[in-house]
Amino acid sequence: MTDAEAIRFEGVTKRFGEAVAVNGLDISIRQGEFFSLLGPSGCGKTTTLRMVAGFEQPSEGRIFLEGDPVEEVPPYHRNVNTVFQSYALFEHLSVEDNVAFGLKRRKVDGEEIRERVKEALELVQLTGREDSKPRELSGGQKQRVALARALVNRPAVLLLDEPLGALDLKLRKQMQVELKGIQREVGITFLYVTHDQEEALAMSDRIAVMDAGEVKQCGTPEEVYERPHGPFVAGFIGISNLLPATVEDGGVRLASGERCAAAVPDGCPDGSAVHVSVRPEKIWLDSLEDGMVSLDGTIVERVYVGTTTQVIVELAPGARLVALEQNTSRAHSDDRWEIGERVRLGWHPEHALVLR
Amino acid sequence: MSEQRFAASMLIPGALWLLLAFAVPLGIVLTASLGSTDDIGNTIYGWHPENYREAFDPLFLPVLLRSVGFALATVALCLLIGYPVAYYIARYGGRWKSVLIALVVLPFFVNYLVRTYAWVALLADEGLVNGAITNAGIRDEGIRFLNTSWAVIGGLVYGYLAFMILPVYAALDRMDQSVVEAGKDLYGTPWNTFRHVTWPATFQGVLAGCVLVFLPAVGDFVSAQLLGGPGTYMVGNLIQQQFLGADNWPFGAALTAVLMAFLAVWMVFYLRSAARAASEAAA
Amino acid sequence: MNAARSPGRAPKPFDRPRFLRAFTGLFFIYLFAPIVLVALFSFNSSKSLQRFQGFSLEWYRRFFEDPGLRESLVASLQIAFVTMVVATVLGTMLAFGLVRARSRWAGTANVLMLVPLVTPEIVAAVSALVLFTQIGMHLSLATIIIAHITFSISYVTVVVRARLAAVNPEVEQAALDLGATRWGTLRLVTLPELWPAVLAAGLLTFALSFDDFVISFFTTGESPQPLPVRIYSAIRFGVTPTINAIGTLMLTFSAVLIGLAIALPRLLGRRESGIGVLVGRETV
Repeated sequence: MTDAEAIRFEGVTKRFGEAVAVNGLDISIRQGEFFSLLGPSGCGKTTTLRMVAGFEQPSEGRIFLEGDPVEEVPPYHRNVNTVFQSYALFEHLSVEDNVAFGLKRRKVDGEEIRERVKEALELVQLTGREDSKPRELSGGQKQRVALARALVNRPAVLLLDEPLGALDLKLRKQMQVELKGIQREVGITFLYVTHDQEEALAMSDRIAVMDAGEVKQCGTPEEVYERPHGPFVAGFIGISNLLPATVEDGGVRLASGERCAAAVPDGCPDGSAVHVSVRPEKIWLDSLEDGMVSLDGTIVERVYVGTTTQVIVELAPGARLVALEQNTSRAHSDDRWEIGERVRLGWHPEHALVLR
Repeated sequence: MSEQRFAASMLIPGALWLLLAFAVPLGIVLTASLGSTDDIGNTIYGWHPENYREAFDPLFLPVLLRSVGFALATVALCLLIGYPVAYYIARYGGRWKSVLIALVVLPFFVNYLVRTYAWVALLADEGLVNGAITNAGIRDEGIRFLNTSWAVIGGLVYGYLAFMILPVYAALDRMDQSVVEAGKDLYGTPWNTFRHVTWPATFQGVLAGCVLVFLPAVGDFVSAQLLGGPGTYMVGNLIQQQFLGADNWPFGAALTAVLMAFLAVWMVFYLRSAARAASEAAA
Repeated sequence: MNAARSPGRAPKPFDRPRFLRAFTGLFFIYLFAPIVLVALFSFNSSKSLQRFQGFSLEWYRRFFEDPGLRESLVASLQIAFVTMVVATVLGTMLAFGLVRARSRWAGTANVLMLVPLVTPEIVAAVSALVLFTQIGMHLSLATIIIAHITFSISYVTVVVRARLAAVNPEVEQAALDLGATRWGTLRLVTLPELWPAVLAAGLLTFALSFDDFVISFFTTGESPQPLPVRIYSAIRFGVTPTINAIGTLMLTFSAVLIGLAIALPRLLGRRESGIGVLVGRETV
């Protein structure tokens, strides 16, 4: 994997009339990366994708594909291909003709077309369906055809616009694994748009978390999850368990009164209002270790989700934390925690994040 | 090429044709309406608004009023006949809906002349209806059907019924049946349900039908020519005379311009309601 | 029956299907009777319009043996064919432009397109006549064709536009994304999806042109004259059974055209038919 740049955004802004869809985007995506744009509906991620594809033009700023600017280049001349959420297959053509479409436009030789179509269909595990028509296929199969149709052209970048959104959960999980495998095998840069944070975490090399047209944080899944910049990212990815607190003496004092050791970032003088965030799986219930911050609370809810149990603990009215325990040795949900029970919970100081 | 430039290049040929072959000629007619004729009947452009005065004077005003009256009567009859038929097909047609609507439309692909002529044949003094009447002994002599206002209106109704039925049917078909059922619960009697639920929901369709019937009907001359006589002349007959007989084109143009006024009224209403719909959608 | 309905009120006849069914039945009799009678009497061996005296093809023979009528038939077919081709092309392009263009001019073009649909035919006919005389063009088949194209474009646009709006825009984007130019996309992806509507529009245009009277009447030259104009002159001279024959022929011909428009898409593998486009016609 080289360090060459596949896509670069320089100060890209997109306006639709009065509304600003994308604001001052500055990202660089490396070649061979699986890069995700993650955010809620309306955050600008799809608009960004469409600008790379060429269906929208930036109002300000420039986009570079493999080092070359693309303002003047129409979509049919860009070395990128898109996989759409609605699959967008050509209903009047067979699977084979669908996949071969891009190659035919480029006047690739007939023999080579047949070879590459065969390869592409093997890659997505649809060998043997060449003569089917799209209406004969299931959702998952249509998605594979869409993928093959894009990949067969060996584009520099593959753009995926929430491709798994219309599939059911099980199929989605399966396709996530397959997509990741395909990307590794083929080595093409993937720019992936999704609102599903689990999906982004599972598949990406790096994630850009977006909100209201701006990138709030850009980093590896681990960075974004364990060290979120700010309450939005902390809250969007996973459960953030935000507790209001004030900085005091190299640590923080929670609004509920307890004092916690925590790593206070620079620029937060004593007395400043902050939030303390702890991930649910980092909270221990009862059997605490030395050096942990410890607090008392009452269990108010218990949610059994198969592999784990979420235990919701109330420290004080309005201050609740969600703790996550793996059900490693339990087969009954009521084996351990009773609602109304008093419990002591805690975490290692280094697992608490102080967010401004 | 950008999407917008491509769309524009698609738009221009057809729009240009319509502009040059339709809109501009309409303008020329308006201009000609203010002109006058020379001795051999050529049109000279000028400023002669008396053409319009002539159009409204006691000689010709009745013709105009009659045309509007006939057209309104046609609209009313088309509605009275067409709405129940559309209702039946939409509500109770079931699997046969498409077939029934196709059957409604089929006669309208027969030439309007031939259809009107069929009524001429039927209603003529030696025609089928009179034959049946005399044979059945109802009357000795038969009834004079042709050359009456009602014959003309009958011909107009027969000619334009489909233009009422299709939009009303489309509106009825689109209506959500569950809303009607809820209305039955709420309003009790079928008449009330119709008045408060069905009618308002189909009003747009009815309006479209009325426009699609009125505008062609008011300018019609075939029915009046074949089924009526000089006593039932409509504006269309007058216009035809000016252009293809009397060679008084400016006057004919003025009469045409009066017809265009109806068109303009429709345009204004349509543009206003389209603008309102657009601003509501943007809100 | 709804128990919650107010008690003591019998359902008004208007709501009972029995009344409506009878009404609709009478309506269809009213609608078809004149046409059926025309067809019937076209086979009448005598001139009478009151009594059917025997089966005969006399009037059809007279039609086909009359050179003037034959000439008119050919003229009408020629006019309709040229009109169909040109109007379908222009109208389809216009539909495409109206659906995709976002500028202010698109709104103006839209109104311009709608006006011919509601214009009384005589207004259109007069305008056409005035146009041709002002530019010094002699009335002939060509003038009829031009006038017919003018009023046909809007029908094509309305029919095609309704179908076009239902096409998934991402499919066209996919084609562009894969290397097809805008023209290529139109040719390879959009038109294949659109063709039942284009076909229906084309056949509709053909039928309308073939049947047209008023506009042809004002824009025709001396000879040849389209068939409907001939029929009109013939009727003015009095009712003769040859007209019955012509009328029946035209009816059959139109029925065949509509049948084609509806059946062809289904025969060629599409699940839709052309009938939907007719009802969608009111999307003015």
